[in-house]
Amino acid sequence: MRGALLIAKKEFLELTKDRKTLFLVFVMPFLLYPAIFTMMAKLGKRSEDQNRNKASRIYLVDPSATLVPILKADPKQFELVAKPEGDLRQAIRDQKLELALEVAPEAGAALQKQETFQVTATVDESERASNIALKRLKGALEPQEKNWIQTRLKTLSASPQLAEPLKLEVKNAADTALEVGKAIGTMLPYLLMIMMYSGSMQHGIYATAGEKERQTLLSLMATRLPRIQIILGKLLYIFSIGVISALLNLVSLGLSISILGSDSTSSVQTMSAIANPMTLGLTFMIMVPLGLFFANFILLMGIQAKTTVEAGTAIMPGMFLVIFLGVFTMAPGVDKMAFLSYVPVVNVCLALRKLFSQQFSWLEYLVSFAMTVGLAGLMTLVSTRILNQEKALFKM
Amino acid sequence: MIHLNEVHKSFTVKDRKTRSSKCIDAVRGISLTVKPGEIYGLLGPNGAGKSTTLRMIASLMDPDSGSIEVCGQDTKQKPEAVRSCLGYLSTDMGVYTRFTPRELLRLFGEFQDVDPLVAERRGLHLLDKLQLSDFADVKMDGFSSGQKQKVSIARALLHDPKVVIFDEPTTGLDVLTAKTVLDLLRIMREEGRTVIVSTHVMPMVEDICDRVGIIFDGKLHGDAPPREILQSRRAKTLDEVFFQLAAESEGAN
Ligand SMILES: Nc1ncnc2c1ncn2[C@@H]1O[C@H](COP(=O)(O)OP(=O)(O)OP(=O)(O)O)[C@@H](O)[C@H]1O
Ligand SMILES: [Mg+2]
Repeated sequence: MRGALLIAKKEFLELTKDRKTLFLVFVMPFLLYPAIFTMMAKLGKRSEDQNRNKASRIYLVDPSATLVPILKADPKQFELVAKPEGDLRQAIRDQKLELALEVAPEAGAALQKQETFQVTATVDESERASNIALKRLKGALEPQEKNWIQTRLKTLSASPQLAEPLKLEVKNAADTALEVGKAIGTMLPYLLMIMMYSGSMQHGIYATAGEKERQTLLSLMATRLPRIQIILGKLLYIFSIGVISALLNLVSLGLSISILGSDSTSSVQTMSAIANPMTLGLTFMIMVPLGLFFANFILLMGIQAKTTVEAGTAIMPGMFLVIFLGVFTMAPGVDKMAFLSYVPVVNVCLALRKLFSQQFSWLEYLVSFAMTVGLAGLMTLVSTRILNQEKALFKM
Repeated sequence: MIHLNEVHKSFTVKDRKTRSSKCIDAVRGISLTVKPGEIYGLLGPNGAGKSTTLRMIASLMDPDSGSIEVCGQDTKQKPEAVRSCLGYLSTDMGVYTRFTPRELLRLFGEFQDVDPLVAERRGLHLLDKLQLSDFADVKMDGFSSGQKQKVSIARALLHDPKVVIFDEPTTGLDVLTAKTVLDLLRIMREEGRTVIVSTHVMPMVEDICDRVGIIFDGKLHGDAPPREILQSRRAKTLDEVFFQLAAESEGAN
């Protein structure tokens, strides 16, 4: 085993000697996620601020001046504008104003006669600003409408409850942590798998087909190290680099969420949903054999290829498969198909999904774990068998 | 000590046009012995089977039949023991260009289980002999092919091997550097090592080899000191012998 460790050490040393690669592996994840999150937060905040602080521009047609006082009450919320030139709808779509409000001319009289009058609001529902204007308008009209109803009931000397036979109070049963956990649970295995596979792939190709291409493999094989140790050393490297890539990305992701989102309470819950040692431990434990399985496939393809391009062509479809399986297991309802817990790779995704949504079952987890371990072990046997042949290393 | 006994090796290759498998007999029954303190030259045209023979001696490939002993060990049974006593170099061997020569040699010292201090000292000594000590701490990605070849030579000799196998060691080297390498080979002979080299460069063979073997179509022709071969063939140069053999093998086919 010492030989394998020496080879793996050599691979890591080679990795550290190249600044660019080193940067991409160890620094990039810690720049990428904070950058993405900051940008997203900034963008979101800016448009939010814009919408929140600006008064909604409303063109109001109200001959009987029934609604004018309401709209003029709060200049921070509403700004009454003159009739825009040209087509009104087009003007709204062009965001020259947010909302047009037409109150029936007989509104004042209708109110007096205790009749209904018509109010027509024109908005562009695809625009956030327009929707905000509509919401504000509803908010402003509601108390006034209630007021009018009460007055009408009073003139009839009826109970104020007459117009309110039922009062609906909505309580949200969802647990925010659970919601967030569910979202993470569906995304996380997918993200982890892709990061692990792509990390292993990149560096694995360099260390296998790349060595053939650069004609250095022969110099390793000419040393006293047994061939099998060289193969195992490469496997160890490809496997570790995959796990390291996944871990680094995960840590950076977690840090970005916790640091940048620390002002809102939901992120605290998010963190508690992810940063539960049991959940994380179980996630990591099942990712290890999966990573070994991936590493074996990459090693097998990489060593048998003559060039890095050839290796890439052979290894890339695996990436697509991983992406496909990941997306497939994210689909709703998939977690209810029982037979899927016996399909390798898919069952890992499902086990993790359940782990994060508090539907964890030890049996399912252990089945997936055992299957993945078995698969990885089998794959290690197969790949070392195949590669430990003169043919594989001297392929022409 | 190197000893080959009736060694055979064939490869199956695919013919893209006829879509059939073809068997190439690269080595067809070679027997030879190289003693310590001797430089053996392996000659032959392209594709004759020189590299295949040397790879089998270095235990990188197994012979299909026959046996090879290096330092008293069978290459098939004890490949690791064989490799720890031999230094192997071939033209199609690269160096890890992300390292400096010093880093590379330190690494291979570990692979070959040489004491780090000893490896460092021997490595620098070899680089010095190859006139490369000024570049010991320069990253190799800018090295010329000759400089890389020198580092490869140092790498092959780092663990003080009793047997030295060089496959075309002077290919791509200028005359000055080639002379340095040949001088190194002479020193190794004086130190009592067993040396086997393959080459196309005839003057080099006449210059340094104690014995030569000429491979044609996987078979060994003549296994004697260069002068004896010239005499028995009534030729002035080894080139002439080469032409004769080529004509003979054409006539035989
Ligand atoms: N790994 C391999 N797979 C298939 N065929 C091979 C392999 N290695 C060598 N051969 C074939 O064996 C024959 C001998 O090749 P070898 O490399 O030993 O020749 P050589 O004498 O070293 O030639 P050169 O002077 O060109 O280096 C060639 O026909 C070659 O195509
Ligand atoms: Mg050759």
